[in-house]
Amino acid sequence: MLSYFRVLSAERLKMSRSLIVLLILVSPLVSVLVGLLSDVDSRQQPWLVLLGALSMLHALLFMPIMSGIFAAFICRYEHQGGGWKQLLVLPVTRSGVFLAKYTVIIALLLIMQVLFLGALLLVGAVKGLPGPIPWTEIGRSLLGGWVACLPLAALQLAASLMWSSFAAPLALNVMFTIPNMLVVNSATYGPYYPWAQPFLATLPAGTMEGGGFGALNLPFESLMITVVGSFVVFFLIGWVYFRMKEV
Amino acid sequence: MMVARALSADFLKMRRKGIWLLVILGSVGLLAMQGLNFGLRYDYLLQRYQDDPWAGLIGEIFSFVPISLFLGTTLIASQIANVEHGSNSWKQLLALPISRGSVFTAKYLLGIIALAVSCLILSCGTVVLGLALKFSPDHIPYLTILKLSFVPFLASLPLFALELWLSLTFKNQALPITLGITAAIASLFAGNYPEWFPLAWPLLSFYGKASPALPVGGGIILAFIIYLAGMGQFRGKDVD
Repeated sequence: MLSYFRVLSAERLKMSRSLIVLLILVSPLVSVLVGLLSDVDSRQQPWLVLLGALSMLHALLFMPIMSGIFAAFICRYEHQGGGWKQLLVLPVTRSGVFLAKYTVIIALLLIMQVLFLGALLLVGAVKGLPGPIPWTEIGRSLLGGWVACLPLAALQLAASLMWSSFAAPLALNVMFTIPNMLVVNSATYGPYYPWAQPFLATLPAGTMEGGGFGALNLPFESLMITVVGSFVVFFLIGWVYFRMKEV
Repeated sequence: MMVARALSADFLKMRRKGIWLLVILGSVGLLAMQGLNFGLRYDYLLQRYQDDPWAGLIGEIFSFVPISLFLGTTLIASQIANVEHGSNSWKQLLALPISRGSVFTAKYLLGIIALAVSCLILSCGTVVLGLALKFSPDHIPYLTILKLSFVPFLASLPLFALELWLSLTFKNQALPITLGITAAIASLFAGNYPEWFPLAWPLLSFYGKASPALPVGGGIILAFIIYLAGMGQFRGKDVD
């Protein structure tokens, strides 16, 4: 445990003053632009209509792809110039390093969600959407989208540990994210496609049949089978791989 | 002739770097996705496109061509640059008795060849997929199928030129890749953009009401301008 926190604080230091701040801002900024340009006719629940419109961009494409970019970014220092050797000769455990890297990725995704919330509120305020703001629904959507990204972050961390180039893990990521645009339209296959889950979880409750389990917008089955199942598989692949990796 | 030698060296260096795999997987993946789409919804889609199933298939594939081209361009440009960044070999490469201009040009040619191969696979694969879906072999629209991948490819060249320049310039590939991915995602809304906006060109080149002369011609000219600007910067660049 101690080793985990040490690596975590080292990760934080390695990240400071890097481009990562810019990367986190991309999706919220694009969301603001698209939000301001889009038409939200405020019949019922204008805030949720706005959230749905913005999630077409943010949750359908940016969140799955960003989890890949963050993962590749976080492994970049070590892939360059023999960083893995330097890191792993320190008195830290490999599991600690793996967990710390994973924690950083999901923390970045969480920050991105908070900024996206800011983007949503900003667009709503500029457009003068009538209150009250449905905090519960918005919170569920954003939290659900984040949870649904956890398996993807685990897979991308595994891929980024395996391949030293920045583009290779992202090719994997992008190849599975593009079909999202088709898959989310399918009620049969959508719930079982891990890359589509961030979007399905972000869509405000009630838009999907059987939605609204617990604190999330996903139906129970797809939450358990797809999100938890793929998380366990992807996380174990990455963890076991990293423990046995030759540096 | 220096360019040809640099290019042949680049072909050797890109072996087993995953570039060819990306070229193949990109187009085959797109076809596999549409194969699944048509396979799973065969009756529905065939009824919807009963007048002309080939046009239906081409339309379904084309809806993913611009974004795939932009994403593929971004990733291939980064992989080409990574061949040198990854092994810190810029100094060694530029110390050889070849001009910087030919090194730079060879990288561009390599990327264009790789993307063109990918487009060729997509066109051939579309014919194979259509025949596998039991569409009539008598009315294969060969010309449209060639246009399906090559016209948007020419219209997307400016982004390739920009991405390769940025990838060669910045050692940290996060910046060019994020820019490329953002551009690719923005291209989904190409229908709303004015005609002169380069991100709309791949879409307009195939679907535009007017002739594809502006998007294709503009694409080639703008890509060439970016290439020249990049070459100017690369020649004077400090190598670390």
